[in-house]
Amino acid sequence: MGLVRRDTSPQVGKERSQAPAYDLLERHLNSPDPELRREAALELDGWDEAVPALLGRLDVESEPAVCDAILTTLVGHDIGPVAARLVGHLAGEDTGLRIAVADALAAMPESTLSLLPDLLVDPDHDVRIMTAMVLANMRHPEAESWLVAMVRGDAHPNVVTAAIDALLPSARAEHAPLLQEAMRRFPDDPFLRFVVETTVPRLAGTYR
Amino acid sequence: MTIPMVAGAGLSDLDFEKFREYFYKRTGIQFTAAKRYFVDRRIDACIQSSGHRNFGGWFAALRLGDRTDLLQDLINQLTVNETYFLREDYQFDSLLSEVLPRVLAGRGRPGRPAGPVKILSLPCSTGEEPYSIALRLLEEWDQIDHVDVEIHGADIDSAVLDRARLAVYGNRSLQRVPKPWLAKYFTRIDEDRYQLDGGIRDAVTLAQVNVCDTPAMRAVQDFDVIFCRNVLIYFDELSSRRAAENLYGALRAGGFLFLGHSESMSRISPIFTPVRLPEGLVYQRPTGAK
Repeated sequence: MGLVRRDTSPQVGKERSQAPAYDLLERHLNSPDPELRREAALELDGWDEAVPALLGRLDVESEPAVCDAILTTLVGHDIGPVAARLVGHLAGEDTGLRIAVADALAAMPESTLSLLPDLLVDPDHDVRIMTAMVLANMRHPEAESWLVAMVRGDAHPNVVTAAIDALLPSARAEHAPLLQEAMRRFPDDPFLRFVVETTVPRLAGTYR
Repeated sequence: MTIPMVAGAGLSDLDFEKFREYFYKRTGIQFTAAKRYFVDRRIDACIQSSGHRNFGGWFAALRLGDRTDLLQDLINQLTVNETYFLREDYQFDSLLSEVLPRVLAGRGRPGRPAGPVKILSLPCSTGEEPYSIALRLLEEWDQIDHVDVEIHGADIDSAVLDRARLAVYGNRSLQRVPKPWLAKYFTRIDEDRYQLDGGIRDAVTLAQVNVCDTPAMRAVQDFDVIFCRNVLIYFDELSSRRAAENLYGALRAGGFLFLGHSESMSRISPIFTPVRLPEGLVYQRPTGAK
């Protein structure tokens, strides 16, 4: 017993000699074995023709780790049609998938930003709350201005609160009037009031 | 630790963009314009050592792929490796007191595991991390005489792996090593340098791998514990996600992942379960997952 050296397979650094064929990966994507599905989803990275299959699998997949692998591969396809299909999951029943999709959309800023005008007026306020979560995680210079627009204009207090929460890490003194106005618009919302009242004093002296 | 180095001067803007895109696709490492000066200097060094006369010829040969040494030389130039023994030691405390007992408990009666406990250090740079793990286990883990342990180290940089195999370290690298350990496990080879005992060097398996390379990482499997510290913060979001997926695939169900103290997996991927330990957070591959 003690430290042992093990050079027998499986080894670190020994690549598989041949990449699996596309047809095999697509079959594995629908295998009963979740680990096989997860691996196939990752290995389909770089195959443009796999996008419809990945999106289709995501519609029915129940294993979170497989969903995450599918989303990781899809994030590499930062194009409008992919983002548009993913946005559909923001209104889904599966909370874990909604959050995973929001994270994925945040990593696809080019296509996601083009969908924002529609997302910000989505009739489902839960979708608008998820949109605030997308913007919270997005590393893009335009994300902040979209959050400001949500705080200023959304009619639902929970959406405004979510947008304020997303804005807080980058909020500065110049945002104080925006937050105070939000509080005035929703005087009966105690949580929003609490957030604004605890935040505004901390913003003093923080300018861009 | 091997991390991208800030970089350079001498390329046209177009050449820099072409290079940046190529290097990102091959390694997952992204250089911003702010790192331009340092990148250019190191590319110049690669061009000179390759025998090519200018960027165009060198870059064409690089992309052609016939000379794999060109890419490796580039990776070695554009990564920086600075670490020392027993760095962020509290995580090794956590390994011994909290994580390894859970690993053994999860595999049957303590002291009678189904197979060796497997620990991976990725990136391992010049070997300080995997060798630190070996020293802590040998000196301080009360189960070491009852359990087989495999320690693996991996890095994208072949030059640092060569240095790890040689295991010769200076005073700066060894400053946190207790003197009795230094006397017991190292041989002084000159005034400022010591070489690690051959038995420990031989016990640690070293290999070259890129954590963002999914096909290569498929061969990295069944680890109980992975240390991947202070590297994900240098990747963009897509590369971080991919690295997280690959680390997930490299762990056994219930296996544990240590990140650097300033890194958070929750921003990168929701597939791990954060576990709060007295010494800090560690991330676990869910036991319910296959």
